[in-house]
Amino acid sequence: MNAHAVSTASASAPLLVRGLHKQFMGRVVLDGIDLKLARGSVLGLLGRNGAGKTTLLDSLLGLTRPDAGEVRVFGEPAGALTDAVKQRIAYVAQQPAGFEWMSAGQWLALMAGSYPRWNQPRADGLLARWQLRVETPLVQLSPGERQRLELVRALAVHADLLVLDEPAARLDPTARRELLRELVFDALDEGTSVILSSHLVGDLERIASDIALLHDGHLLLRGELDTLKECHARVLLPAAAEPLPGELARRRLEGGGVSVVIARVPGQPWPPQLQAWHAQPQMLGLEDLFVEVTS
Amino acid sequence: MDASLLNIQPTASEPIYRQIVEQLRRLIASGQLAPGELLPSVRDVAGFHAINPMTVSRAYGIAESEGLLERLRGKGMAVAQHARRPRPQSERLALLQPALEALARQAGELELPAHQVLDRLRVLLEK
Repeated sequence: MNAHAVSTASASAPLLVRGLHKQFMGRVVLDGIDLKLARGSVLGLLGRNGAGKTTLLDSLLGLTRPDAGEVRVFGEPAGALTDAVKQRIAYVAQQPAGFEWMSAGQWLALMAGSYPRWNQPRADGLLARWQLRVETPLVQLSPGERQRLELVRALAVHADLLVLDEPAARLDPTARRELLRELVFDALDEGTSVILSSHLVGDLERIASDIALLHDGHLLLRGELDTLKECHARVLLPAAAEPLPGELARRRLEGGGVSVVIARVPGQPWPPQLQAWHAQPQMLGLEDLFVEVTS
Repeated sequence: MDASLLNIQPTASEPIYRQIVEQLRRLIASGQLAPGELLPSVRDVAGFHAINPMTVSRAYGIAESEGLLERLRGKGMAVAQHARRPRPQSERLALLQPALEALARQAGELELPAHQVLDRLRVLLEK
């Protein structure tokens, strides 16, 4: 690759998704997803079980072929990534498998050989802190240990794009905090872009710069985490209340009345209709917002 | 100041950057942070609380623009020398605006005449 091609490739967004569609056996899983990831950003992907988070992550990496739409990773089509781009990506699946005949150390050595920027001291440090023994055959690792080993690999390769599917589900709280720290400092120091799907909403609230909420095949919420929190609220209204501008969800309450989630434009006031109902907007944490708009 | 003095609630509805600015405001107003006292680095705060460093930078930047903090060359952020200087009256009044609006709204909900509410408020203010 010549110098011009290198500079063009590195100037391309880590990830660009346009109009992504995917069906499985007649069921629409992704129904027109648009997404852009900036360098150094940490995107938290949320969604209920079966919402299609893993399908989306797989499509981003070219592991699943979409029915329509386009995914570009560092400027290249996801279905035909060159080795140069593949080396800049690290993916940790929810249930890693394969290479069961190897020991943890042999597997890491294999990985080290395929990534030019492999950082052995970092791998050694994480192995020690996460209590992994290199002699252990992969087949004897518990699911949690196998996931930790995959995370060691993903952090040691110094990827420019890290894609993590439920990375913290099997980690204890201390190891989880450490993982979060490693991720945000990579994003800060190396400009690594991170996508992680997680049901641990509090973890995402710690480190995510951006949030995408996948629901019914669409990204129902997408944007900066801080802005999402400042621009969404719940209001309690009489059951007869007319639909409000920016209304996202409405739920009937026992004993009459409705709970409505509304969105406003950043920096703008809430709809004036609220005053007529004497309704006070209640600000929401990410988990409450998630539950209100997906249930 | 130690990074652990900040109390971060990631799951709160209030964004973390605002939590940090509000806590700095209170710690400085109450004198728990003295003028000239150094703040922990962005890295230390982000590392201790496992939060995004950009969030801490954003909070420090806002606190700096509000005159709570000042950047000392080569040392990082410190509590501004004049951070406790009394603010102009208009600014202090602006801080009271949300509470006044809430009071007015509640008085309306209770269908209380304005002059009675103002009488009560005057008594409280002149106490």
